[in-house]
Amino acid sequence: MSYAYLFKYIIIGDTGVGKSCLLLQFTDKRFQPVHDLTIGVEFGARMITIDGKQIKLQIWDTAGQEAFRSITRSYYRGAAGALLVYDITRRETFNHLTTWLEDARQHSNSNMVIMLIGNKSDLESRREVKKEEGEAFAREHGLVFMETSAKTAANVEEAFINTAREIYEKIQEGVFDINNEANGIKIGPQHSPTNPSLPGAGGQGGSQGGGCC
Amino acid sequence: METSDSECFESADEEFYPESNNKKPQKQESIASVVEQIEELKVVATTTTVEEQPTKEIKNKTVKTNKLGVKVNKVSPPTETKEIPETINKNEETIPEQSKDEINLWDDDDDWEPVEQETKSIPTNLGWSSWGNWDVTSLLNTASAGVTTITNHVSHGLTSVLESGIGAPDPEELARINSSEKPKFEDGNHSEPINLSFGLSNFVSGVTHITKLVETTGNKVVKGGLDTLETIGKKTMEVLQEGDPGFKKKRAFLKINSNKPVLSHILREAKEKAEVENKLLEERQFARKANYESLFDDHQGLVHLEALEMLSKQCDIKLQSLLESLTGDDLIELQETMNQIEELCELVDDDDELEDTSQMKEKLDGAVSEMHINISYEKLLNTWSEAEDWLRNINLAICSEVELHEQAIDTLAQLTALAVERFHKIGELLLVKEHRSTADEADSLVQLTVTVTTLISHVATKLADKFNEKLTTSTYKDEINKLITNIYFESANSISYIKNAFQLLIPVLQVGAI
Repeated sequence: MSYAYLFKYIIIGDTGVGKSCLLLQFTDKRFQPVHDLTIGVEFGARMITIDGKQIKLQIWDTAGQEAFRSITRSYYRGAAGALLVYDITRRETFNHLTTWLEDARQHSNSNMVIMLIGNKSDLESRREVKKEEGEAFAREHGLVFMETSAKTAANVEEAFINTAREIYEKIQEGVFDINNEANGIKIGPQHSPTNPSLPGAGGQGGSQGGGCC
Repeated sequence: METSDSECFESADEEFYPESNNKKPQKQESIASVVEQIEELKVVATTTTVEEQPTKEIKNKTVKTNKLGVKVNKVSPPTETKEIPETINKNEETIPEQSKDEINLWDDDDDWEPVEQETKSIPTNLGWSSWGNWDVTSLLNTASAGVTTITNHVSHGLTSVLESGIGAPDPEELARINSSEKPKFEDGNHSEPINLSFGLSNFVSGVTHITKLVETTGNKVVKGGLDTLETIGKKTMEVLQEGDPGFKKKRAFLKINSNKPVLSHILREAKEKAEVENKLLEERQFARKANYESLFDDHQGLVHLEALEMLSKQCDIKLQSLLESLTGDDLIELQETMNQIEELCELVDDDDELEDTSQMKEKLDGAVSEMHINISYEKLLNTWSEAEDWLRNINLAICSEVELHEQAIDTLAQLTALAVERFHKIGELLLVKEHRSTADEADSLVQLTVTVTTLISHVATKLADKFNEKLTTSTYKDEINKLITNIYFESANSISYIKNAFQLLIPVLQVGAI
């Protein structure tokens, strides 16, 4: 598949908040109520379009269990975006946000875009964390905030795409050095400056249909 | 100072008399002709006679040498420019060796002492004393001028380089400075006649002046050099430490680069290159050839490899920092343990690749069971049996060689991606395992690697067999032979990726042993 940019995302947060379900909803547009516990890290990928440009999101879905914490930390490096997820029906998952945030900030680059997500918004009757609390936390720590439901797909698409848009804007502003892969951004093959000898390959018209089946 | 001066002197002599004794008669001849010329000049330009006072004689001689000097300059300008930097170097080299005591000597005692030694050295040149005088002054002048300009240029160059943010001077920049230096030497030569007309006393004081100048500029070079080095060092540390106190990240980063190229990067580059090439091919209406790296990425082999590399690196950093903290027997003991684990992980290169594949499942299950982690090779086995089914049922009359090739490459890429994914998962599970049993784990991983690579070879052979069947009926024999070669090539790649993934697990095993 050809793309203009590739963004690396990580999804982090307590176990059982719905990280893998959010990923599945985003990549496969389906919901799986019973899910195996994630071991270490699993991956998902999807192509999106921003500003007419094809962007590949490569999503690293990490295990939320405490036991994997030290392992998953080693995967933070080189992420351009992070989805920090809590469960609106379980207050402790909200209370742990500070720890997660510290971890993320410590082990990744400072320009990483972090999106705070209050998941399971479909379970309004069991809500323990008010939307305002999430908003306040996000404001305080300079995060983007959104409530989602992996089950009904509400805001799922938006959460992933808005994060990408934010990263894209940072690239335009020159905050992200796209040539430094430690920032979690890779330039797609047809934009690669290493192939100046192939002017025909950059044809915008052809880039849409490219790639393999 | 005396040594450096005489060194100057000698080197200057060498310059003009490369093989001094043998060449002297020739020189005398040329001098004689110059003397003739000068005598002519005397008639025209000066009123001086030979009987006049010694000082005038010296003047005359200086005129001679001047003339001679010009002549020699004209005869061998290239050697001139080449030789002078050498004498400068000698000056520079000797200056640091001179202790400060010596400088003090000059200040405290009478200033003439070194000058006398200077003049003493002139008579050693016998009939060529004036000739020698010229040498000393001109060389010292050029030398000091050269040194000053060099110091200026170098320090200026370095600061400008530092200001532009680079930690070390660019070789090109330095080369440019050097080349811009050359005209300066020539300038020094042109200014010569003015100095020479001062007479002996002037000349002597000139020498003192010059020697001091050389010394101070020498000190400047040394000081300036040290300052520059210090600045470079400081700047480098600042840049390195930026946002990374204690160099934690840098250490990790440097480690990656120093050891070996990161395979996932190489693969990604290869993949991207291939994608661009494919696009070109498409545009030219050629059949699109299946690309192994692209398919390997599509099956998430690449990202698992990348994650495994990160995990491996993390373990490596842990081990290194532990090794650094240990001393004495503890260190030796740990190093021995590390080496033992590496030895356990040595893969025997056996070429009998066509082992029995009928008990593949039992072999894999048996290997995994030793590790006591919850991992299954079901998916890999399923993919393999699907591939076998496809190969059994394929109708070669319908399936074109291009289709066959695409499917074959995809099978190899998928099996390899799954194998790498399993190794990554094993790494993660081992790291969270409560009680590690390193020897068993190493043994299991070796078995797994051997079994999976055997499987890949087996599949590749079967795929190639299909092409061989096709070869008997097809007219495109060259094309098919190329595709067969490609299949074997990519299967060899597959095997090396799998072995690489296994190698990446060694630090994971080692961490378990500490």
